[in-house]
Amino acid sequence: MTAAFPYLSLIMLAPAVGMVIILFLPHDSKRAVRWVSLISAAVSLLTTLYVWQAYDRAAGGLQFVERTLWVKSLGIYYYLGVDGINLPLVLLTSIVLFTGVWTMWDLQHRVKEFFALMLLMVVGVYGVFMALDLFFLFVFYDVSLFPMYPLIAIWGSTRKEYGALKLTLYLLAGSALVLPGILYIYFKSGLFTFDLVMLSKAGLDPDVQYLGFFLFLFGFGVLAGLWPFHTWSPVGHVAAPTAVSMIHAGVLMKLGAYGVLRVGMYLCPQGLVEWSPLFAILATVGIVYGAFVGLAQTDLKYVIGYSSVSHMGLVSLGLATMTLGGVSGAVFQMFAHGIMTALLFSSVGHIYDSTHTKMIPELGGMAKVEPRASFFFILAALAGIGVPCLASFWAELLVFINGFKVYPVLGALAISGLVVSALFMLRVVQKTFYGPKNEKYAECADMRLAMIWPRAILAGTILLFGLLPRLMLDTINVGVAPLVELFK
Amino acid sequence: MNPAAPSDFVLWLTLAVMWLPFISFLVIFFITRTRLALSLAVSVSCASISLLAAWYLLLGLPATHPPVEFKLLWMAGAEARISYGFLLDPLSRLMLCIVASISFLVQVYSLGYMAGDEGMAKYYSFLSLFAWSMISLVVAPGLLQLYVFWELVGLSSYLLIGFWHHKFSASEAGKKAFVMTRLGDLGFFLGIIVLLLHLGDLSILKLNAQAAAQLSAGLVTASAVLIFMGVVGKSAQFPLLTWLPDAMEGPTPVSALLHSATMVAAGVYLVSRLFPFYAASPDALAVVLAIGTITMLLSSTMAMVARDIKQVWAFSTVSQLGFMLMGLGAGSYFAGVFHLTTHASFKALLFLCSGVFIHHFGSNDMYEIAKNGGRRLKVPMITITIAGAALAGVFPAAGFFSKESIMGALAELPNPGWLAAGLAGAAMTAYYTFRLLFIVWFPRKIETPQHQENGHGDHAAHSSFGYWAMGVPLIILAGFALVLGFFGDWLLNFIHWGRPPEFFHHVWLAPVSLLLVGCGIGLAWLEFGRRKAAQAGFLSRLPRVEALFANRWYMDAFYRRMVDYVVYGFFSRLFTLNDRRVVDGGVDGVCRATVGGGWLLSFLQSGLLQYNLFTMVLIIALVGLYFLVMH
Amino acid sequence: MNSLTVYLFVALLIFCIGMFGLLQRRSLIGMIISIELMLNAAAINFMAFNRFLAPDPSVGQIMVLFIMGIAAAEAAIALSLILALFRKLRSINIEHARDLKG
Repeated sequence: MTAAFPYLSLIMLAPAVGMVIILFLPHDSKRAVRWVSLISAAVSLLTTLYVWQAYDRAAGGLQFVERTLWVKSLGIYYYLGVDGINLPLVLLTSIVLFTGVWTMWDLQHRVKEFFALMLLMVVGVYGVFMALDLFFLFVFYDVSLFPMYPLIAIWGSTRKEYGALKLTLYLLAGSALVLPGILYIYFKSGLFTFDLVMLSKAGLDPDVQYLGFFLFLFGFGVLAGLWPFHTWSPVGHVAAPTAVSMIHAGVLMKLGAYGVLRVGMYLCPQGLVEWSPLFAILATVGIVYGAFVGLAQTDLKYVIGYSSVSHMGLVSLGLATMTLGGVSGAVFQMFAHGIMTALLFSSVGHIYDSTHTKMIPELGGMAKVEPRASFFFILAALAGIGVPCLASFWAELLVFINGFKVYPVLGALAISGLVVSALFMLRVVQKTFYGPKNEKYAECADMRLAMIWPRAILAGTILLFGLLPRLMLDTINVGVAPLVELFK
Repeated sequence: MNPAAPSDFVLWLTLAVMWLPFISFLVIFFITRTRLALSLAVSVSCASISLLAAWYLLLGLPATHPPVEFKLLWMAGAEARISYGFLLDPLSRLMLCIVASISFLVQVYSLGYMAGDEGMAKYYSFLSLFAWSMISLVVAPGLLQLYVFWELVGLSSYLLIGFWHHKFSASEAGKKAFVMTRLGDLGFFLGIIVLLLHLGDLSILKLNAQAAAQLSAGLVTASAVLIFMGVVGKSAQFPLLTWLPDAMEGPTPVSALLHSATMVAAGVYLVSRLFPFYAASPDALAVVLAIGTITMLLSSTMAMVARDIKQVWAFSTVSQLGFMLMGLGAGSYFAGVFHLTTHASFKALLFLCSGVFIHHFGSNDMYEIAKNGGRRLKVPMITITIAGAALAGVFPAAGFFSKESIMGALAELPNPGWLAAGLAGAAMTAYYTFRLLFIVWFPRKIETPQHQENGHGDHAAHSSFGYWAMGVPLIILAGFALVLGFFGDWLLNFIHWGRPPEFFHHVWLAPVSLLLVGCGIGLAWLEFGRRKAAQAGFLSRLPRVEALFANRWYMDAFYRRMVDYVVYGFFSRLFTLNDRRVVDGGVDGVCRATVGGGWLLSFLQSGLLQYNLFTMVLIIALVGLYFLVMH
Repeated sequence: MNSLTVYLFVALLIFCIGMFGLLQRRSLIGMIISIELMLNAAAINFMAFNRFLAPDPSVGQIMVLFIMGIAAAEAAIALSLILALFRKLRSINIEHARDLKG
């Protein structure tokens, strides 16, 4: 089904156009730069909402498809489309982009370059999520990675050069595995096309799938924070400025999991069947390990970073179950975790801006000093430990049920991680927000009213999908159901 | 039996009971938080409508009303379908009424108790959240919905226990409560998954009716015991009982709510809810019985030495919950539920009375309260005595009858040890209850009124409105604590749909247990009541035993060490080190190796361009030669 | 004498002369001239193949035109680079430009 109007291109190109406009604006017009970014993000968000609402769940499959031949001799197509799997992720990207731009409203240092790079990165993210052509997917993948380096190295904090370098090297190492994987599949399929849908029907040889999935699993897995390739993520989160952390932890890590899902699992289902025990073990180790390491951290952002490792482990575990519930849970978890982490970083960003510290022992009693920031942080932290009626609960429920069903021992271990993650999140909440307040920061200002809105949007999303999980899951199930058939 | 769909009237009524508290929570928390009076009005009016509806559902419908079920699909995964709805049968109607009543009374009481607190509106929103989650738990038609609200109950008690979070101990207690109950919930969750994977449907009615037939005996026992782990956490049973005494860091009305009708009652409620399922596995029932007995005895010993008035009641809650589980474990559904009901009334009363004292004198210590003239406060003094009598099981207060039915059930068991343990527990209960009452009634030295005035001056809320807001719930609850016992037969008929099983009354049991209770009271009188009493228990002559009891059998210390050494000291430290040294170290090693390799290779670079060119030409020539020779 | 081999040998000779010059000359200008020789050898090859083998004669001519264009552009760029280098080093001897030494 081809779209009458290129909505998906509009979603993707709105930030690109915004970036170009920003590049032509004079250096000192910070206001204009902010507004252009916000408006382009809003255009993306509104279009995404329209697509979300207009997606026909009864029909399922790929919709809003745009398919144009790009290079005939190589079989490259400009091919965009959404189904139940990537639609939630596009929505996630739009929400995080919009709120991220808003959160960075008060940035003063090199505003123009910051927003231009951020929009460029998001163009790449949209591209990865929506592209159904391996060539474009890979190009967009790298487009989304490289702005990360300047964004962290220029606007970051806490060992920013180190963090930026480490992150970039790790991720490029990952994409160095992905590219051979793509070419391998391209040549082995014998179709000479990069079209993902056609390749998935090619019926690849099991040996090819075996090697191909290995490359995709570890190539994309690096970006998904798969244990033991996770250490870039806390370091990178800590070093990055607020909005970049939001997009990075909230959206970019999902690119990795999405890559494993869309490329690895679609093209090499038999490969997953072979590799799934290892995948599940790494995922479970990540869940428990991330929570334990998070327990020992004293930097707020490190804590969130390790909680991301733990939560992304859940996504991996869900994918490794190869069941409808598990994979749906994993996709839901990607969405829920994205929103939740964005909210966490957004709140911490405010605390850091006002107190100039994010060390837990130095803070304390912030609930009295900055009730608004604290509220949002605590809400997100509660979502993180799987409190019901907040979005990630349902995702975790599905992943745990299916994890336990397919891998009883690993599933039980992963479930026991719930206690540790409760312990470490509540410890942070207690040490940072409760208790007597630190007089040094007693005068710090709470969020301005206007700056509540981006956080409120994120919090509202968590609550909305927490109270009405079917809004999300019915869509995801439509997309995942055909995929799961491949593993039978 | 197949549940019927509810009539429209019952449907809307039940939805009102369920949703009004949640609406009140949302409205207060997000809209009216800054306007105190409006928030209070919203909260109390929602609670009172909910209360009336709950009472109508209990009494307005005939006792033989068939169970009705209403379900909406809340979430649909492939394997897990969670429906949201309600199941009204005698048990849930009874519990609904208890929850709605206690939370209403607590809300009224808090009008006086919390007056002047800056977070009062927030407090009320949390109370509403608590009521909502507990009510939805009670009427849950399926185990998964029950689990969802089980967790939410945990969350709301976390928020309320840590309500005065600027105090370190309060936030610590909230955290402890959450994490310890979470620990038990792991088992609960696993049990649910096991059942889900084997049955595919977790409707409570079906589970009770069919599970035993569909599953193997081992599986029933395993899942029942796993689910019971959740009960152990939530109802503060051995070995996870230490969070509850700490939970008194919350405001006292919260303790009343927590200890009587909501949080801890949820555990016992779950066992009664699934009672036919448990009854299908004698082993599981034996576990319930054993855990209940151990807990009951342990916590009674702890209560005997506590000085903090709220702590005594907290330990007594733990032991009474143990009693309920003993009743259920002994196979008597009715005994457990009956004690749950009566306990809700007198335990709420005990805490609310203590709240008046604490509010008045600004101290939790019972000697301190006695010294400052606690007995001058007539209403709480009389009601606390009634409640204490009910707790101790003195005829004719409510506790006597419900404990009697538990003893009756225990006497049915072949092993007389259980009954002996139960009777010993009853005696200890009487001892520690009256120890406290005598200390407060008969202070050794009555202070001058002057001193009392100082006590008064500390609090702003001693208006007559505040006094009556706190007093009226006490009187109502005292009425219940007195008369509820006589409704035992009605309740027996009610929860068995008018078809009560044969129930044994042991004629000799009542005098024996009354005698033991009398001994307990007598001992307390000798040591604390009479004029010459030194007001020191016999345990003070055994300092080591006293220390053991006072330190909660060193369970807390044990957990503290476990957390410090195993969780923080071992796993957390080890994994962090692994992250720094092994993972990061490995990566940094690769980086260094790359740089070093580059350094080595750099010696090949002379810097003269033509050498490079020459090498290139040479290699191309060699390759060309190779192909020439090969072909 | 009008065979493909002859043209190819001539081209090879010119190419080898160019390569030798490129490797042997230490003057940058000399190296550029050598490169031009090599390019022209390639062009001769194209024309030769075109004349004797290709069915459509225009392809080789187009390639040669391209080579001439590229050669011109290359010379211009290279000369400007040499000028820049000369300004810095006051010399066009390649042995003075050894900053890339490891």
